[in-house]
Amino acid sequence: MSKKAYIVVTNNPLVKEQLDETVGVCYFSEDSHRDLLERVRDFVHKGYRILTHPLAGSVKPWETPYRSVMITAKREEKTDLFSLEMIEQAIFALEKSKARPVTLNEKVLADFQIVDFSLIQSALPSAEAHGQH
Amino acid sequence: MSKFRVVHYINQFFAQIGGEEKADIPPEKREGAVGPGLAFNKAFGDEAEVVSTIVCGDSWFNENLEEAKNTILDMIREEKPDIFIAGPAFNAGRYGVACGSITEAVKTELGIPAVTGMYIENPGADMFREKVYIIETKNSAADMRKAAPKMAKLALKLAKGEEVGASAEDDYIPNGIRKNFFEKKRGSQRAVDMLLAKINGKPYTTEYPMPDFDRVDPQPAIKDLSKVTIALVTSGGIVPKGNPDHIESSSATKFGEYDITGVDDLTADGYETAHGGYDPVYANEDADRVVPVDVMREFEREGVIGKLHNKFYSTTGNGTAVASSKKFAEEIAKRLIADEVDAVLLTST
Amino acid sequence: MKLELGYIDIKGIRFDDYNAIEDGVLVVDPDELVKPVLEDELIKSAHFEIATPGESIRITPVKDVIEPRVKVEGPGEIFPGMIAKVDTVGSGRTHVMRGMAVVTAGPIVGFQEGIIDMTGPGADYTPFSQLHNLVLVMEMEDSGASAHEYEKAARMAGLATAVRVGELARELEPDEIEVFETPTIAQSYSDELKDLPRVAYVMMLQSQGLLHDTYVYGVDVKRTLTTMLSATEVMDGAIVSGNCVSACDKNTTYHHLNNPVIQDLFKQHGKTLNFVGTIITNENVYLADKLRSSDWTAKLAGFLSLDAAIVSQEGFGNPDTDLILNCKKLEAQGIKTVIITDEYAGQDGKSQSLADADPAADAVVTGGNANQPIVLPPMDCVIGTLDYVDKIAGGHDGSLRPDGSIEAELQVITGATNEMGFNRLSAR
Repeated sequence: MSKKAYIVVTNNPLVKEQLDETVGVCYFSEDSHRDLLERVRDFVHKGYRILTHPLAGSVKPWETPYRSVMITAKREEKTDLFSLEMIEQAIFALEKSKARPVTLNEKVLADFQIVDFSLIQSALPSAEAHGQH
Repeated sequence: MSKFRVVHYINQFFAQIGGEEKADIPPEKREGAVGPGLAFNKAFGDEAEVVSTIVCGDSWFNENLEEAKNTILDMIREEKPDIFIAGPAFNAGRYGVACGSITEAVKTELGIPAVTGMYIENPGADMFREKVYIIETKNSAADMRKAAPKMAKLALKLAKGEEVGASAEDDYIPNGIRKNFFEKKRGSQRAVDMLLAKINGKPYTTEYPMPDFDRVDPQPAIKDLSKVTIALVTSGGIVPKGNPDHIESSSATKFGEYDITGVDDLTADGYETAHGGYDPVYANEDADRVVPVDVMREFEREGVIGKLHNKFYSTTGNGTAVASSKKFAEEIAKRLIADEVDAVLLTST
Repeated sequence: MKLELGYIDIKGIRFDDYNAIEDGVLVVDPDELVKPVLEDELIKSAHFEIATPGESIRITPVKDVIEPRVKVEGPGEIFPGMIAKVDTVGSGRTHVMRGMAVVTAGPIVGFQEGIIDMTGPGADYTPFSQLHNLVLVMEMEDSGASAHEYEKAARMAGLATAVRVGELARELEPDEIEVFETPTIAQSYSDELKDLPRVAYVMMLQSQGLLHDTYVYGVDVKRTLTTMLSATEVMDGAIVSGNCVSACDKNTTYHHLNNPVIQDLFKQHGKTLNFVGTIITNENVYLADKLRSSDWTAKLAGFLSLDAAIVSQEGFGNPDTDLILNCKKLEAQGIKTVIITDEYAGQDGKSQSLADADPAADAVVTGGNANQPIVLPPMDCVIGTLDYVDKIAGGHDGSLRPDGSIEAELQVITGATNEMGFNRLSAR
């Protein structure tokens, strides 16, 4: 694990592969999109704050199986209510849009990985530049 | 084509029987249109006609709800109507509730197209807006001339099996179902119009009302715990063993009040959880984990708190509707205030 | 800044072996026009097709829609920082080829989206069914290049083509001329304007990574602070779309060029309100960026001494948070705010529409529920490919029926629930 002030919680193998060495990655290969969000919620309950919005950009949350969320590496005493509200909203948004199966061939899966990676990658310069997380 | 047969429901006031002093008259049926029914006949034109009018006192209806509904449903059934309309009730609260109740009953039990009408702040509007079509009226009967055609138009649509438009198109109170339609102006123009109204303090209607935020400001902190009486209230479903009140494991419709006079500890022999939304093993082993009677008794003895209230309140939060939770809380709060409780420890699971 | 738009009405497009505009008909030589597109080695194949309003044609997957324009007077050229050199645009005169668009189609990723039907029920929901479309269909080389590079190649090909087409309008006499002038701060306190309420437009731009990006003068918007520009700069292509997701509520380059909020605020400028400025702000992934950008929106609004503002959103989900933050912070300063959004209320319309909410957002205009189911009947001709229809956003397994009809949600239709308020579609 790196010594950065942030870590990425993900179920996306591409994020694991690309960021593991430079950024800390908590990788859960078996997690569904929903599992991953609940896992992030557990982290929030334990006192980690989320640093990136847990909803994918404008990729429909029920389409993509991949999700990566950046959280603080250090656990704090108190649960951060802003983080909690944000993650609860994301789970709610995923919940309301469930049950719409999408064809996922290899090419589509690979592209969803790329987009999810791209979204989290877009946050890296901000996270790096940020003194206070 | 023959005209659609319409049955109309009105209260004692609109039947010109009398005001509050006559509000206790039981339901009666009259042939043809009475009072506002004339306005409806005009609005229906050649397409429909009020064949019969049911009159009932507002007090009688609300005090004999089940009987009233059944009696009136029987009266309606006999007429074999194609359309049922009730009211409009404008701002009359009990009339609004009666109109909503009977319209819902006709819709669900008789399967007849049914429409009512009332003012948005009528308590009946909140109770029934998601169940039946309620045409939005102004707050006084002076609006009858405008309300009747709107109600008639929607009722005819339903009777003909035509698709109902969005609430803004067909003038009903928003029923929680978002429906697309084409406005006359494009969105940017509507935004500019709305902005100008907002700037100039003129009325405007948001196209998407934000969900209801029922946030409660916390009470000021208690300065001296040693003087206060504290009660325990939980949504964790802790109940005396056997769940005497049969509180549901999810989507609760009730809460329980349990006396803990002389109880020092919620043991596995005496208490358990009714909650179906979490692993009950640890709560059943020691219900104090959810409703901490043991620790509170200790605090009581040590003088940290003044007193533990001798009753605790419990329901299951699992899937329970916000509306039910609100109702429970209102009742629990009333009882706590009556018992002069100063503070509540609210535990959840 | 003062900009004259000279509209050249385009009434048709046809192919020939030369390029010209003749009696309002655009004539193009497709072989010649495609040559520079094919010079990009990432583009394996490309060709042009024509889609006319009312024809039984389906265009998919649509990437961008671009209106050809040409700068005939004043500094800079169309799409500065992208196609032209960086130079401040927004003044002088620009010719607009009204009634047509260059549409780019072709897959960038496997769940590419965007449908424009030129007729039938789907056509009612997209404004682009009303245009004469010159469609550039591209297929990417399977060269192992990244999706980012493919997106860029397709984006640049579309913009460059539009510029080449726009050039044909340079010497023509416009059918109509419209003048737009934005005030400086000092001018906004002139005698004619000083008593009117001071209003700005806050334009939110999607900026979250691949397929979600927007560029201003060539700068990737996610790396910017909230800033201001003249509304006329937008009309000269200062903002271009690099966005491929969420067909229904992304802002295509066409939307930017023809921003309806800007047009409608100009109509009231000097009459009922004082349109003092345009603020652009991003929609980033990183939460601190969201907080900072919305802080800056409120701060710039304060600098402009605003009385009121209109905020438009792009995309959905994560940007709902930016929208609500912007609205809350403006309202907190006493700036009366109207927001424009769209809804994801589920197919039955019963779910909560936005992922975020606040009581301060008490004046909302909606572009409709994007989850509304729709059946798009088969068309005689498909420009592009239906391979991706099963996977496009809002489509689901079995979206594409054996008879070629598509069962999906409004989401699949390009521009259907636009959050600049481009359309008449709404919901209650």
